[in-house]
Amino acid sequence: MATSNSQNTIPFPGRRPLKVYAFDPSLGRMLGNHLTLDVRYEPLKPGPVGARFAVVDYDGNAKMFYEAVDLDHPAILLRGGLDPTESDPRFHQQMVYAVASETLERFEVALGRRIRWRHAKSRTAPLKLFPHALKQANAFYSRDAGGILFGYFQASQDTQGDVLPGQTIFTCLSHDIIAHEVTHAVIDGIRQYFTEPTNIDVAAFHEAFADLAALFRHFSHQEALIEALQRTGGRLYGPSLRAEASDGTENSPIGGQLASDNPLVFLARQFGMVSGHGVGLRDAIDQKADPNDIRVLTEPHARGSILVAAMFDAYFTTYIRRTADLFRIYRAGSGQANPVDLPMPLATLLAERASKTAEMFFQICARALDYCPPVDITFGDFLRAVITADTDLYPVDAHRVREAIMQAFRRRGITPDGAGYFSEEALRWPDAPSELPPVNGLVFGDPNGLTDQEKAINAPILRRYAKDNAALLGFDPTQGRIAAPSFHPMFRLGEDGVLRIDMVVEFIQTTTEWFDPAIPELGKFEMRGGVTVMIASPPFEGEQRGEPRVRYVIPRKRSKERFECQRSAFAAGGMMTSDHRIDFALVHGA
Amino acid sequence: MAGIVPVENAGPIIGAAGIRVRMYRVGFGDFFLLSLKQDDEVAHILIDCGVHAKPTNSIDDAVAQLKVDTKGHLALVIMTHRHADHISGFAKCAATFKEFQVDQVWMPWFEDPSNAQAVKIQAGITAVAQRLQMAFSANASPGNSSFALMAGNILGFDIAGQSSNDLALSVLHKGFANTPSKVAYLKAGDDAPLPDVLTKMQLSAEILGPPTDPKLVSQMDGKNHQYLDQLDASTGKTDSSPLFGGQFNSDGGAFGDEILGQNGLLNVTRKIAQAQPDVIRAIAQQADNTINNQSIVVLFEFNGKKLLFAGDAQWGNWQNLLFGGAFGAPGHTALTEEAKAILKSIDFYKVGHHGSTNATPVDALDAMRDGIVAMCSTAVGAYGSEKNKSEVPRVPLMDALKAKTGGKLARSDQAPVPGADTFPDPLDPAFDMPTHELFIDYHL
Repeated sequence: MATSNSQNTIPFPGRRPLKVYAFDPSLGRMLGNHLTLDVRYEPLKPGPVGARFAVVDYDGNAKMFYEAVDLDHPAILLRGGLDPTESDPRFHQQMVYAVASETLERFEVALGRRIRWRHAKSRTAPLKLFPHALKQANAFYSRDAGGILFGYFQASQDTQGDVLPGQTIFTCLSHDIIAHEVTHAVIDGIRQYFTEPTNIDVAAFHEAFADLAALFRHFSHQEALIEALQRTGGRLYGPSLRAEASDGTENSPIGGQLASDNPLVFLARQFGMVSGHGVGLRDAIDQKADPNDIRVLTEPHARGSILVAAMFDAYFTTYIRRTADLFRIYRAGSGQANPVDLPMPLATLLAERASKTAEMFFQICARALDYCPPVDITFGDFLRAVITADTDLYPVDAHRVREAIMQAFRRRGITPDGAGYFSEEALRWPDAPSELPPVNGLVFGDPNGLTDQEKAINAPILRRYAKDNAALLGFDPTQGRIAAPSFHPMFRLGEDGVLRIDMVVEFIQTTTEWFDPAIPELGKFEMRGGVTVMIASPPFEGEQRGEPRVRYVIPRKRSKERFECQRSAFAAGGMMTSDHRIDFALVHGA
Repeated sequence: MAGIVPVENAGPIIGAAGIRVRMYRVGFGDFFLLSLKQDDEVAHILIDCGVHAKPTNSIDDAVAQLKVDTKGHLALVIMTHRHADHISGFAKCAATFKEFQVDQVWMPWFEDPSNAQAVKIQAGITAVAQRLQMAFSANASPGNSSFALMAGNILGFDIAGQSSNDLALSVLHKGFANTPSKVAYLKAGDDAPLPDVLTKMQLSAEILGPPTDPKLVSQMDGKNHQYLDQLDASTGKTDSSPLFGGQFNSDGGAFGDEILGQNGLLNVTRKIAQAQPDVIRAIAQQADNTINNQSIVVLFEFNGKKLLFAGDAQWGNWQNLLFGGAFGAPGHTALTEEAKAILKSIDFYKVGHHGSTNATPVDALDAMRDGIVAMCSTAVGAYGSEKNKSEVPRVPLMDALKAKTGGKLARSDQAPVPGADTFPDPLDPAFDMPTHELFIDYHL
């Protein structure tokens, strides 16, 4: 009966619905907290184990595996995934798989290409997710373990708020924590050397970027937004949600009359509540921007929050601008200036603009990764990358987003090296030197990446190119071999409807230096200089494909200052693994 | 108790500038006496008095000798920071110190009871250290020992039901003959009050640390992490029973070799075991650093000679001095001219933090002039490991210092004490050990 007649097969849908917590279990069903994510469909083995992620539920504390969920089981398929619960590990496995897949997809859409993991061994193996790896209030990405370790722990007995004393808190059920950690893995996949804390901004950038990815997602789910909009009178950035029915005091005995935190502007809310720390964006954006912070804050999260605050300052500014017309229309129809109840149609429109703007900001940040220098990132470099990447795709700053970003960064004292003015033109990376010859023979592949054969063609071409043009690319040819550790094709649709195809290439020159040549006992460290090169596959000239040309050479050159910086950072050596990489286990845990 | 009878007039001040630096050898801990002579006037400055690990000579003997050396009168007592290895002597020898006249006491501003931020920081660190101590006593292992020492160093040890650090602080505040003490709580840039006798001798003192920038300091209290804090859960041994009441236990049979590769299951369990981070240790390290960074850093000048006492100041404290702000922040990557000038000018350096790797930055060492003299109170094997490049004292740093000083580096563990490890190099003839090998002197 069940013969496989190919003509009559019902195709699998492109998406798989899976239920998750929009925030974490502490919010119950508030604000659309029980959310269905539609992730890309792929056949899954129990785990779930798919092509990109393998959930392996091994508890390192109990030294025990937990039963693995089979998301392809009809009973689960029929109900669109297991319902959210803290008490069944199979839901935990489903949630880490779903949120990790969502996060990865958002990056792949923004970057226009497939992201590869940086594993110890194979780069095609899936990233492993360990939902209950440790009994610790910690979760971290480990290149060595080939994945992300999520911890669980007991809340202390004096915990208050929405958490029971002694309750088990699972970091794998926090949407934010999953998104944050997957982002670390994504960045490591894109930029091999961003895990070397060669200056004060590197570890902070990692934390900031991962927080940004998690936070912008808060604003991209419309269901959650509509309720928050209604209860903040449209001020999404407010610290609290108005009570459902207020008696005008803060001491009402009735829950429905009490205001609550606005979870949109907090990160990992449940976690923060339990660990007793003020958390999230509010901390950063509540205070007036202080340009002195950039001078004194060194702890990675504290320093990273400067960047997070700058980006969200720009986001909320853009949101306010983009919704001003809606509020004007509303007021013109005799709506109040500070509305208590937003009409549903207005809330829906606001939610739509807020989520579109959030998605746009996320994409701006994500795309900028490809425009960052390959080593030794600074906040100033990131600003230049943001401006360049966005200008590249959208020459006209229609929503004045870039202006908002520049102003927000300037207010926080984030200034790039080497840009003379604080204007779009000055902040854009300069065009590549016109003397650079075309990169003949380069193969661009397709949006799924390059095949092994294509890679085998490109690698020698690029190495040769770097060698032949070392000086023009900003290298010192006498300082040894120039490696090309990565090259990725990118396929993006510009606003003019033209498909743009680029290749982003990292060139790195590594030398070994003495900590102090006069005192050889102090030993040596590795010093890297490098450039990110953007090569465009040009449009057709007549019936001929044009020659691939270098558009940008984004430098992190060797300099005395960088040398000193790196030498001292390595000599000080905090939160580093023995091979001079960021130890995320310690950055997060302590 | 006292095995050594104190010696009168041991090692009189003979240097041309009238300066004698005396390092008492009591083990892993700082106990320095700076004595100054001008015409017939002699005055004494005590900089720390403690030991917390690897004890050698009895600290009772050393304090008894101190009393004889100073005739029971200290013009100034400096407590650089509140670690047991810098203050335990005040507690252990409280009875002796009760007979001392002390004109002036200096402490870092973190000890100021009227400063709410300071009180909060110290209370927070003490609470963290108490938790750590519980955790380490429940998880005692050789690998944990030096981290357990760090927690103990913050809390001190038990003396008749009281913490030795609490007792020491109380002695410093009100335990000398002329009680209560005249205490100044200092920060970088302060005009530090000197007693008349030192002013008359024209000693000058410049306070270079600790920093006060509230944001730098708030990072020093280690409480500002956005999330993922661990301590609440880590008291004592963790319960290792499986989650979910054991209802979902499995043997991992879903993960055959076709999914995780050959021996995949074994690899996974091994990797997870390896990846369990030592967060408790990291917190202990951080709490330790925080207190070290509270250290008073003082530059003395007397008769044209400059002496730098840096307590246990580590990176966070130094970088403010050296780079004028957070190192690596724009405009703060090179030594400030001021820092260079100071470092170039000093004649004597009390090596920071017992010779640990992050207490004497390469840049600071580079900027010092060749031929400078240094003293370091230390002991091999108390902290860190060579494998992690964290041993104290750090071997390459000691070698570098030796090169810088042209061999004029004295270590407190350089002469044998029965029952204690000795660093085998002979003491450079620039230094003296006049009696009982209880202390090492340097004359300027």
